Amino acid sequence: MPKHEPKVIVFRSEAEMPPMPASVATTLYNKTGSWRYIRPVYRERTPPCNEACPAGEDIVAYLGLVADGRFAEAWEVLRRENPLPGVCGRVCPHPCETQCNRERLGGAIAIHHVERFLSDWAAEQGLVPPTQKPTREERIAVVGSGPAGLSCAYHLARKGYPVIIFEAESLPGGLLRTGIPAYRLPREVLDREIAAIEALGVEIRTGMRLGRNLSWDDLSSYAAVFLALGQPLSRRLDIPGEKAQGVLHGLSFLRSLNLGQRVEIGRRVAVVGGGNTAMDAARAARRLGSEVTVLYRRSRAEMPAIAEEVQEAEEEGVHFHFLATPVEVLAQDGHVCGLRCIRMRLGEPDASGRRRPEPIPGSEFVLEVDTVIPALGQEADWSVLPEDIRRERGAVVIAPTGATTRPGVYAGGDLATGFGTVTAAIGSGKRAAIAIDLALRGEFPEFPALSRNMRVAPRPTSPEVVAFEELNLAYLYPIPRPADRPRPPQERLDDFGEVNPGLDRETVVAEGQRCFSCGTCNRCDNCLIFCPDVSIRRRGDWTKAYPVYPYFEVDYDYCKGCGICASECPRRAITMEEELLWRK
Amino acid sequence: MEKVITGNYAVSYGAKLARAQVIAAYPITPQTSIIEKLASFCADGELDAVFIKVESEHSAMAACIGASAAGARAFTATSGQGLLLMHEMLHWAAGGRHPIVMGAVNRGIAPGWSVWTEQSDTLAQRDTGWIQYYCESNQEVLDTVIQAFKVAETVYLPAMVVLDAFVLSHTSEAVDIPDQELVDRYLPPFRPQWKLDVDDPHAFGALVTPGEWFELRYKIQQAMNEALEVARQADEEYGRMFGRRWGLVESYRMEGAEIALVTSSTITSTAREVVDELRAEGLPIGLVKVRLFRPFPLPDIVRALTGVKKVAVLDRNLTFGQCGVFGEEIKAALYHTPLRPPLFDFVLGLGGRDVTPATIREIVRYTLEHEFPDEAIIWIGVKR
Repeated sequence: MPKHEPKVIVFRSEAEMPPMPASVATTLYNKTGSWRYIRPVYRERTPPCNEACPAGEDIVAYLGLVADGRFAEAWEVLRRENPLPGVCGRVCPHPCETQCNRERLGGAIAIHHVERFLSDWAAEQGLVPPTQKPTREERIAVVGSGPAGLSCAYHLARKGYPVIIFEAESLPGGLLRTGIPAYRLPREVLDREIAAIEALGVEIRTGMRLGRNLSWDDLSSYAAVFLALGQPLSRRLDIPGEKAQGVLHGLSFLRSLNLGQRVEIGRRVAVVGGGNTAMDAARAARRLGSEVTVLYRRSRAEMPAIAEEVQEAEEEGVHFHFLATPVEVLAQDGHVCGLRCIRMRLGEPDASGRRRPEPIPGSEFVLEVDTVIPALGQEADWSVLPEDIRRERGAVVIAPTGATTRPGVYAGGDLATGFGTVTAAIGSGKRAAIAIDLALRGEFPEFPALSRNMRVAPRPTSPEVVAFEELNLAYLYPIPRPADRPRPPQERLDDFGEVNPGLDRETVVAEGQRCFSCGTCNRCDNCLIFCPDVSIRRRGDWTKAYPVYPYFEVDYDYCKGCGICASECPRRAITMEEELLWRK
Repeated sequence: MEKVITGNYAVSYGAKLARAQVIAAYPITPQTSIIEKLASFCADGELDAVFIKVESEHSAMAACIGASAAGARAFTATSGQGLLLMHEMLHWAAGGRHPIVMGAVNRGIAPGWSVWTEQSDTLAQRDTGWIQYYCESNQEVLDTVIQAFKVAETVYLPAMVVLDAFVLSHTSEAVDIPDQELVDRYLPPFRPQWKLDVDDPHAFGALVTPGEWFELRYKIQQAMNEALEVARQADEEYGRMFGRRWGLVESYRMEGAEIALVTSSTITSTAREVVDELRAEGLPIGLVKVRLFRPFPLPDIVRALTGVKKVAVLDRNLTFGQCGVFGEEIKAALYHTPLRPPLFDFVLGLGGRDVTPATIREIVRYTLEHEFPDEAIIWIGVKR
């Protein structure tokens, strides 16, 4: 800033003066900022979507870029936090959308569609991540190539570490590959996202099973170990007849199917359970041509499965039998011929807060089926873990860093967190990667609680989450969410092709534009326009560089602290702060 | 082209013909149809103006000030409470020398609520530095809006065109709508010398110390003085171009008159009828209509009233603790004349109470019967 000296102008008569109080020389020497007792500060606050994302994606940032059609940069912002956006855009239950403030003005932003669009777009464009040579010497071992392991390996590799993933199966991907059917997650999407992680220098050794051809001694040569073994064991029905031929556990059924192995199921199938595996098994069985009945001991409202999955299963002709549970598998010549069940009613709430189902005496009935697929949840395989890695309530005990009770060994995913979603597993792998890197540098900062997400990009995050009521609704109008257009159910049953074709480019851009950008400046210029002291200026050229943060700066020499910028900001990205705090 | 339109539409057509570029207004009875018509002119593309919807009259005037400061021809309209809410900004418009024109429909001030005509709302703004015209007919309203822009933009002071609620605002008359081309010739585009301009930046409306403040006030008064002559010429030029002129002060049948009725606004029309009747009856009576109230046309008033024996001022307004505003000002105007005729100040028709020929006759009777007024205010029609 040049120095502005006051220029003294003496009017000898009124005739020399302008007709109105108008300056005839610069007034810049008059630093009206000295009148201020509160100052506007561009202090972004966390949008509810970012807060809700277990993988710590910077959703608001990539939606903002998508709104401008800047897909390549959006893709970078997205992929920086999560190496599996094509996967998450398809299978994540998107808690971001549940929390989205747009919900109340036209429906939540279809964030998952934007996410998968960006991944698919980048693949179509042939965008390959730059290969990277390790810059660190410490070698890290990751056991398990499910979402947690892949995420941990990816983030460590990006930080320059040589990483080796040991995978027990013949193909990488863990449950993403063996558990999720192709109609929800096409194989090529999974393959290309894993390939991109390998391109960073991550080595994946398949067919290496801990406790069989991989020992704890082998792992001791690594600077750190991340365990992401998942929960590979299916819970049993624990009823008579379970050993009969034709009882096929949900995960084994899906595994065989997904690895392209021969699977034989009967014409009439009963699936037992109300979770996502149950839905996957039921819908896969429908695609194999069977009549499918899902048996769930509680009512629809208590089902842990994603609501859309249940609805799509119903569309595909899956029958639901709520408030019923099997009591005996009936067999003839060693093969299943029926399932004896009993009706249930809901009693008092149990420890989970859900009403406990109780059998209704004398209400037994028989389902005539030839295949029974129990999908009652999974458990970890504890036989491969040493005693000094403590566990509690079915999960490995970890600190907020992901560290287990054995030094240098970290854990994540279903094995440790029990959160049970792909995105939570991705988040736990990322968190451990951040922690391992810091630990190897000799830093041990406090980590946020496991329930909170973490970001690797240096963009500031705030603990304050923007509530709908805080937005300036004078500027925000209802715009409807675009409708999903899944393939018709009859057509879906013909193959394992993807059910939902996603959104097109224009719709995705419109979704970016529909985003309120809660707590996050999106250069709407309201502050710039409304500032009565012309004390807000643009910084840098947003159209050429990302990120420019903050996009505006306040000229505190002249800002009088009126607060109009903060109150007219539609998204509450400006905070008024006591001047005294700044003078100290 | 002649159209049968209300007084309010006459305001709208006037603003349209004047090619107002920014209109910022807030609706209030009885003004509403003025801005509805202007809004539809804007919407239909008949008027190339920005119509700014605002949250209050204060904001309406503030928006007009901003527009005018940026060099746009700005227009608004309001009434009663809305005008009072504008008060601070009225001073600002004048002090900032922004030649905004406003249609002001007279309305009684609450409480109790009144939507009917009374001049107290506009007369309460007489000290704000605004030019004020009081109109008698719909034609005069339309012509005055156009003239007001010309005067305002010449002297850089804002102007109010005042009309009675309902009696004029909602009553239809045949009005000649002049040709746009002719109006354009009469009223060229607004090109202020001082305006907000990024290429020639000035700070407007900042702090002024005692060293300059006094001079700025002086200049406003100079501009008001100048406005009187400018208004006279603007009216004459209008007469030459459009065949109609209204005068600043109109003398009606004042030849040899011993009694002068002084009127403003629509009461004038009623009074004209009574004057005609009384003249026919042989009474030497005439009428002086005050059209321009600010700047106060002192020489015109004095000239019109010189030689009369008694002056009867009809005030549809009241300044509490004094008397009617016109009465007060005309009394002051006559102070320096050699023969100061007795002045009877009649307060009548408040809150839209009807003023009929019988009311006027009652005033004349009182004036004839009294050598001097019994009271500072002679109340007409009040039930006491």
